[in-house]
Amino acid sequence: MKRGTPQKRHTFWKDYSPILIACVVGGMISCIIAENRYLQRIILLVFLWAAATSSFNIISGYGGQVVFGYMMFVGCGAYTTVLLFKFAGITPWLGIFFGAAAAGIVAIFIGLPTLRLRSHYFAVATIAFPLILSPILDHLGLEEVTIPFKGYGFSSMQFTDIRVYVAIAIVLLAITLAIIRKIEKSRFGFELKAIKQNENAAEGMGVDVYRTKMFAFVLSAALGGIIGAVYAFSSLFVLTTHAVFGLFIIVRILSINIVGGLGTLWGPVIAASILVPLGEFLNAEFGARAPGVQDIVYGTALIVTIIFMPAGIWGRISEFLEHRHRKLGGSPKLSFAGSSDPGEKGNIEKKESPVVENTPAVGTEDGHDRPVLQVEGIAKSFGGVMALRDVSIEIPEGKVLGIIGPNGAGKTTLFNVINGYLKPDKGKVLFEGKDIAYLKPHDLCRLGIARTFQVAQIFNKMTVLENIMIGAFARHSSSLDAYAIARKTAEKMRMTSRLNDRAVGLSIWETKILELSRALATGPKVLLVDEPMAGLNPEENDKIGEILKAISETGITVIVIEHVVQSLVKIADLMVGLDEGRKVAEGSPEEVISDPHIIEAYLGAKWRKRYAQS
Amino acid sequence: MENGMQLIISGILVGVSYAVLAAGLALIFGVMKIINFAHASFAVLAMYFPTFWFLQWWGIDPFISAGIALPLFFILGYLTQRLLIERVIGESESETSTLIMTMGFSLLIDNFILIGWSGAPRIINQPYTLETWRVGKVLVNHAQTYSLLISLVLIGGLFLFLNKTMIGKAIKAAADDPEGCAYMGINLRFVYGVAFALGIAITATGGCLMATYRPFNPFYGESIIVILFASVVLGGMTSIAGALIGGLIIGIIQQLSSLVVSISLQNVAVFMIFVLFLYLRPQGILGKRERLI
Repeated sequence: MKRGTPQKRHTFWKDYSPILIACVVGGMISCIIAENRYLQRIILLVFLWAAATSSFNIISGYGGQVVFGYMMFVGCGAYTTVLLFKFAGITPWLGIFFGAAAAGIVAIFIGLPTLRLRSHYFAVATIAFPLILSPILDHLGLEEVTIPFKGYGFSSMQFTDIRVYVAIAIVLLAITLAIIRKIEKSRFGFELKAIKQNENAAEGMGVDVYRTKMFAFVLSAALGGIIGAVYAFSSLFVLTTHAVFGLFIIVRILSINIVGGLGTLWGPVIAASILVPLGEFLNAEFGARAPGVQDIVYGTALIVTIIFMPAGIWGRISEFLEHRHRKLGGSPKLSFAGSSDPGEKGNIEKKESPVVENTPAVGTEDGHDRPVLQVEGIAKSFGGVMALRDVSIEIPEGKVLGIIGPNGAGKTTLFNVINGYLKPDKGKVLFEGKDIAYLKPHDLCRLGIARTFQVAQIFNKMTVLENIMIGAFARHSSSLDAYAIARKTAEKMRMTSRLNDRAVGLSIWETKILELSRALATGPKVLLVDEPMAGLNPEENDKIGEILKAISETGITVIVIEHVVQSLVKIADLMVGLDEGRKVAEGSPEEVISDPHIIEAYLGAKWRKRYAQS
Repeated sequence: MENGMQLIISGILVGVSYAVLAAGLALIFGVMKIINFAHASFAVLAMYFPTFWFLQWWGIDPFISAGIALPLFFILGYLTQRLLIERVIGESESETSTLIMTMGFSLLIDNFILIGWSGAPRIINQPYTLETWRVGKVLVNHAQTYSLLISLVLIGGLFLFLNKTMIGKAIKAAADDPEGCAYMGINLRFVYGVAFALGIAITATGGCLMATYRPFNPFYGESIIVILFASVVLGGMTSIAGALIGGLIIGIIQQLSSLVVSISLQNVAVFMIFVLFLYLRPQGILGKRERLI
């Protein structure tokens, strides 16, 4: 994969020129149509709301964490900048950065408890914060702050001509859009998208969910702070808590974002240029008789869009474009500098097992039977149920370990403990001699423990390639590298024909292969596979087995939970039997499946006796 | 000391009114797993219609209006569920989209009230609105006392309904395992409709009761929805009993806070407690931690 500079420059131009052109053209059109101050104000509001919504879009649209308390950051930015200007004489040009910093710091404090919550709790929890701050400001006598007039001029950000503010707002919007475009192309953007679709799976694939969300949250907040400050200086002489902390702010931002399309670059811009003028005109026309008409516009637009066009205007447009593109047999939507077109066609070849020929991830020099993973005396209970009691297993490097046991034996719980989704009540998990029982799944993934899930956890709305890329990002921070790894992995796994299809349409077999590919792309030393054969036919079961065997032959230790014992026996080097949270059998496959405990656990005491008699 | 006693008594009175509203919110959340952001707006709508206007037009006593609001808002709630919310529920990310949708809906209710009946603050003027009993040194408002008693009956009725009737049991079953219910021949759409309707009806009745002693305006809902949410979070989200306790605690905190801070910061105190809870015990007082996978 070459990364030639000309190509890089070319994509740079391709990525950012639409933003530049749109903003310049938008500015020029504004100058032409805005003949009076009223129209100029409306245009100013369009750009400001578009910029505010775009900033909100980073955490809420891309990251899926809807911040109902977003006005907190708008207000913090506005108040910090105005108060610094009024009492310390600091120019707003500097002040906006203090405003951004204030908003960012506040975001960290808000995010610390709330980002751990599930998305809709998070949404409502954040709303408490502006409701705390704004009465306090009122109480301190700051419910109305007059912005002092220090003469028209650049340094005080006070201009007679509204068009200067329009220009500032356009620059702000352009910067925000450029940041979003940059995010869209980066590892951070992919990880945000993954978090939005499936937090658990993202965590398991090495995404530090909490930190990624926090970063997006702080970024959104800081940008919101800057916009709040500019909003205060451009449209208000008197700053009131209602104007910057009011619920109407989040309602309009949400409305604009939903109508335009959550998580789209152009959606907020398009929706703002429709909804803001519409609201303002109706307000001017009917506002005296019907004072709430503007909010009725936003509310109706919100509801109608959610019901009839959940992807929003831009979502609909891009669906249409994608569809047409595909009809014309075009190249994939995802294109990176220097990447070749995945031209090779052909179905996933079921008859042949995918060839896995990874170079061993670990040096398997001499000690072949050195345990890579040791589980020591693990106990875990849920309420009164003991899911695991004192389980100890040693797993030698490069082998296939099969875990069997009836439902409820604690197999999946064991996996969840090994890879950090659950903390054990007692015991240790040693990976290459180091205790990992208290690390998080994403840390473990980066250390080299990858997994697949009992119920497939894929990122439905992402393409197959993007899914695998999320895995590859565990070890590679550049999108180009991740892209290359993902393609290479997909080729090995014979997944290339569906690379650009959304994962949601895959068959069960394809989904399983995708999950395995994604896990392999993380470059694991140990691979945990939870019931890979469930839902497949016997022929496919054996094929999955062959794949797992091939994976283990590249030096990766494979641990498989499976009920399809006859297929497992063919590939396992070692087996462990669990029942009611206890390890009841261990040894070679033959030993384990003839163990009386296991027979009893699966078939009942009667069969155990019969077996003993025979 | 008397002051403290007075504040605890009025805290209980206010708390029970929150508890009723929060119970409706918790019922809807518990069954359908959606946060109804328009919840308080329904209560405010009931304060205007029927409570305020029935008194204004025909002199109907607000406590009778509360009885009228119950079936009226049951129907309104059922229609809202079947016509709006049902279209979004069950899709991917439906938790967030129903939240956003109900937020849009609350905006519509609030602003239609504003356009139709003006933004002027309203107050119910009945003898009991201001009259008080004196118990020792503690003053107890008549309207609040009547409201308290009716609220207790209402809550008792809700529990009876959920535990003794067929449809009530179906609602509880749907909260536990919707898929299982569907297999057992329970019509989930109908059950969700009834649950939502019941939640709204309880809340609207609570709103009517609240209107008998509190001034209100079209945007009153904005100031109580987060209090209700805090009550439900304190109570562990899905439990109605928890929401009742949560509401009661919130009411008492709100009133007692005036011992420490200015009265204009009452709600700040409530939200601080709420945030504190988020830091320390996000699963609420009665709630359990969920299993991840």
